[in-house]
Amino acid sequence: MNVADKPRPSIDFHQGTVRLFGLSPRFVEKAFAEIPLAWDDREDCFRGDAMHADAIRRGLDHSLAGGFDWRVGRDAGAAEFRALSIKDLRQVTLRDDQQQAVEAFETGGRRGLIVMPTGTGKTVVAIELMIRNRRSTLIVVPVRDLMYQWHAKILEATGIDAGLIGDGVHRVSPISVTTYDSAAIHMPRIGDRFQLIIFDEVHHLAGPWRSDAARMSIAAHRLGLTATLPGDDERMTRLHELVGPTLYQQSIAEASGASLADYSVHRIAVRLTDDEQHRYREHAQQIQKFVFEQKTIDPKFKWEDTYALSAATEEEPDRARDAVIAMRAFRLKRQIEEHADAKLRMLEDLFRLHCDESIIVFTGSNVMARKISTRFLVPCLLSHCGKKERRQWLEGFAEGRYRVLVANRVLDEGVDLPEVKTAIVLGGLSSQRQAIQRLGRVLRKGRGGRRAKLYEVVVEDTREVKRSRDRRRNEAYRQKR
Amino acid sequence: MIRSEHSIVHYDFQRMIVRPDRLRRGTDADYVAAAKQMLRVYRDGIGDPRQVLHGRIETCLNRLFGCPPRRIAAFCKLLDDQSEYLSNRKAALQLRRRVFDFAADRHPIVEHREGIFDHDANQVRSELAKELGRTWPEIEADLFSDVLELQRLKAFRSEWTPQQLLSAYNVAQTQAALYRATRVRIDATDDLKTIVRHAKLAGLMHRIDLISSAEQPRYRFIFDGPQSSLRQSTRYGVRFAALAAKLLACRGWHLTAEILGPRKQRFRMELSPADGLSAALSAPDAFDSSLEAEVDAAWQKAPVEGWTWQRESLLLVRGQTVMTPDFALHHRHRGILVYVEVVGFWTPEYLEEKCRRLQQFAGITPCGGHAGDTVKWLLIVSGKIEPDLRQGLADLQLPMVSFDTSASPQAWIDAIG
Repeated sequence: MNVADKPRPSIDFHQGTVRLFGLSPRFVEKAFAEIPLAWDDREDCFRGDAMHADAIRRGLDHSLAGGFDWRVGRDAGAAEFRALSIKDLRQVTLRDDQQQAVEAFETGGRRGLIVMPTGTGKTVVAIELMIRNRRSTLIVVPVRDLMYQWHAKILEATGIDAGLIGDGVHRVSPISVTTYDSAAIHMPRIGDRFQLIIFDEVHHLAGPWRSDAARMSIAAHRLGLTATLPGDDERMTRLHELVGPTLYQQSIAEASGASLADYSVHRIAVRLTDDEQHRYREHAQQIQKFVFEQKTIDPKFKWEDTYALSAATEEEPDRARDAVIAMRAFRLKRQIEEHADAKLRMLEDLFRLHCDESIIVFTGSNVMARKISTRFLVPCLLSHCGKKERRQWLEGFAEGRYRVLVANRVLDEGVDLPEVKTAIVLGGLSSQRQAIQRLGRVLRKGRGGRRAKLYEVVVEDTREVKRSRDRRRNEAYRQKR
Repeated sequence: MIRSEHSIVHYDFQRMIVRPDRLRRGTDADYVAAAKQMLRVYRDGIGDPRQVLHGRIETCLNRLFGCPPRRIAAFCKLLDDQSEYLSNRKAALQLRRRVFDFAADRHPIVEHREGIFDHDANQVRSELAKELGRTWPEIEADLFSDVLELQRLKAFRSEWTPQQLLSAYNVAQTQAALYRATRVRIDATDDLKTIVRHAKLAGLMHRIDLISSAEQPRYRFIFDGPQSSLRQSTRYGVRFAALAAKLLACRGWHLTAEILGPRKQRFRMELSPADGLSAALSAPDAFDSSLEAEVDAAWQKAPVEGWTWQRESLLLVRGQTVMTPDFALHHRHRGILVYVEVVGFWTPEYLEEKCRRLQQFAGITPCGGHAGDTVKWLLIVSGKIEPDLRQGLADLQLPMVSFDTSASPQAWIDAIG
């Protein structure tokens, strides 16, 4: 079929995809060899992910020289697709490393990843790029706290009251902030409204669901910010495909001293009480026995298979029942580790030791965070906290009104804390990223330049000791001891 | 609906079939007594925190042989969905502020006082209790009472019997299995309009084919979403689950879902009324309006020989838009198929929209079948519509008759010409 025989080609945005009407297969194959497009017989059109909109536009400009109707993006004169007028109210000068990151992004085709350790001012870099870009921008962040934090920073830097999408708010404006999950939900409807998309803590852009947050957006300019790139090749390839190549990378070693505070790590081992020890051993033995028996039945059996086995009630009812019992033992064992009395006693000592300093305590669960909060009558930040409450505790903590702030994972990433020089980690997981992010909270360089301290309280003779060792293997912990 | 983490499915790797967890009358008879206890836990648990209720549900089900944690969590979710919990966030936040502000100057609060700057925990608590005019246990209990797991049960309004709770569980697990579906196929003979309507409401896209044009036409619907032409996506799984719940109230259907299983292998899940799942909804209404019912009654009272009369049995498909004529008249020997559309009086806007749709579909042939038939239209219009409002319908130049209580089906046939 000849292109000239067909009606004028038109391209539109449809629920996170772009539809190409009126183009022949031969033309599509030739003009868009590099772009994955599929014929959709439901609507007699070619269809592709919205993220390819810019490349499609360029392909059509080249091949059809304007002989097509471009209906992608609400750009038929829509405000968000004209150059925005963004005021620059900032009073900061970018450091050299931040300036280098900005330049790397601009010379790198405005699509790619910037890797800078926590506390080195990734947000400063992103806001600089947003102001220079002067286009509609969507910022995607992992948690609601960060959404509000970005909102406040944009307001401070530009005077713009940015839109918010998430946490029960749906206010879309040319500069908006959202969370990864809200972006994945709403992108079919808002994916055509932004020309620049910024993924804060971009390593969260993993898995098919969250990847839709990038795939379903037509944004030609894409920025991914992170302190730590994923370790595996598959996820890196995915990030390169969805956002772009790594354009700038700064290691924690380069940043330490220059923009991060000096710090030291102290591991404190505490012991279980006799009763806790007794119960802990009982549960541990129960689990060992279960694993031994399962390996006898299936030599390839791994503990990770237990959850799936517990649901095999029809196929293998006896093994499923044993799996349920073993899982219960595992949960109780973890609870003993997590809630050991000695940890609270150790906290009491550390609070005494640093009674005139601001301390942040990270816990491995919400339950433990609340337990500490109730025991020491100090505020805790959990995922249930509303915007107002979060701000209240953070401001009170920054002003020194509250000496201690307890947090679960909610503060793992990116949420700015004021000049924290002492942090205590209780329990938690062994993942490298979590360790780096947590360290980032105490590494922020404040006034005075005094050494920051990170205490890690673990229970002796338990899996926590192993998890602590795992954490110490990464670069952040190796730096200063 | 339950969450995906509560889903239990059984994969048959030989036949590549998925079976959602289902409690059965015979083998799972013990669950009836457990369901009775679970309902009692909630009915008697007004004022108790959610985590306490969940603990009791766990106790009820742990007595049964090998009840998996996901099943326990699923029952908790189903029961919670029928419940109302107290959550006075403002009061709890106010309490926290007062408590933490009171304690701020007393940091560190310790169990064993050693230094002169320490504050004894018990003493601080009693001072706090005095300040707030409440006992410490009350303060402690209310400090985080807005947190999900600590919210207290306010009401449990469900009238479920134990059997209905188990039935709701079976439906919920079937829906949850569909969260992993990439595409759903439904073969159906009845309630076609309801199926299409609910698929549209769920935001799904379709392919529709007539697969049997025998006495009772049988259609094949394939539902998925925009992204499905690019990759296997479970993005639309929740929409399939919503559609399946509506489907349970329909008749004459068979659903086959493509499910993405472990290691991205493709499995199949089958569902039909034979599975005996109970619908939460009542069956679709027989007629959309009383006028439609009257038209049908008029035909049934005096049918015209040689013509068959079927309600909403044919679909007209134009891309992603579907129209279901209210009735179809068919004369096999003469080879005439008539789409009958009943036009009641609602509003001028309704009539305008009706005209637009009729214009859009007037030239469309049914998908498959009736290939050699001459297709005609007949509009049966409420006698209550004012003549000036009928103009839009008249402009369509389709045969039109006015309907009143003395209407004669023979007159309708005559009007077709």
